[in-house]
Amino acid sequence: MTLLVSAAATYGLRVVLIALVPAHRLPAVLRRGLAHLAPAALAALVVTALVGHRGATALVVPGPMHLALGVAAVVAWRFRNPALPVLAAVAVMIVVEVLS
Amino acid sequence: MDITLRHTRRADGVTDAVRDLAPVVLGLAPFAMLIGVTAVRSGLGAGTGVLSSALLYGGSGQLTAITLMGSGAGAGAVLAAVTLVNARFLLYAAALEPHFRDQPRWFRWAAAHFVVDPTYAMVTRRTDLEDPTRFRRYWLTAGGVLAVAWVALTAVGGLLAPVLPASSALDVAAPAMFLAMLVPQLRARPAVVGAGAAAVTAALASPLPSGLGLMCGIAAGVVAASVTPTPTRTTAPSESPS
Repeated sequence: MTLLVSAAATYGLRVVLIALVPAHRLPAVLRRGLAHLAPAALAALVVTALVGHRGATALVVPGPMHLALGVAAVVAWRFRNPALPVLAAVAVMIVVEVLS
Repeated sequence: MDITLRHTRRADGVTDAVRDLAPVVLGLAPFAMLIGVTAVRSGLGAGTGVLSSALLYGGSGQLTAITLMGSGAGAGAVLAAVTLVNARFLLYAAALEPHFRDQPRWFRWAAAHFVVDPTYAMVTRRTDLEDPTRFRRYWLTAGGVLAVAWVALTAVGGLLAPVLPASSALDVAAPAMFLAMLVPQLRARPAVVGAGAAAVTAALASPLPSGLGLMCGIAAGVVAASVTPTPTRTTAPSESPS
């Protein structure tokens, strides 16, 4: 039941600006804000996965995931294939685990 | 070129969608498997993981839901956290809405379910989807095939969970995929400022209850990007992959 309600809420997020209130009818200030949401959301998602609930200090205390994501960032910058950064990051994590 | 052949190529978005989707599925495979593994190891079972893939169809929201449900959180907390984590779908829907504007009603309501990070990124990489029929075929193929692969790979993760060694290697798949989608966007100054502000704020707010730190980061990033002057030089659509 919890999953169903969460799925309904997620579907609402997907459909509201497509079928109910088409995005071009929103006030300009909201549309300008939405235009900046993607990089902010993706960056926040990356950092949230990296630090968990440990606070900002976890950003600067290096660990295997820092190294893996650093490599992934370089690969993402160099290549446009979205699979390569993921595969590189997983490979780095496996190598670090094997070596440690 | 024969006019029929030209028309067929313009209207056929199926082949392009399959071609674009192949590397995406490869990159998402560890992430989807991680969801199956997490569902089994949190005690919810592979079936819940597979169901979440079909219903929620968004990895970070699924992981949030599964983790919270596995730890015994209430329905309200799960709903609030998943909604916060998936709030970015509003942007994707807003950005994709022009493609949906001239589509049949059934398509606008049903195909909205396929709005998710990879499909959004795939569409914004292309500049040849103005034709409504071509977009419809492209979107249904990309979203449908990705959904089937996502559910199947989640099931594989759930099946393999008992025999997979305890490893954190799969944990990096999700942030690496988000990073792969973020990095190509960091060309304009507002995006860089917004991403930086979001990252720092999300880290500072990370001790807050699940989802709130993420939301604080997103809000700070949007505000910071909005007040950052936009350079006069515009970026071509083909250079904005997501």
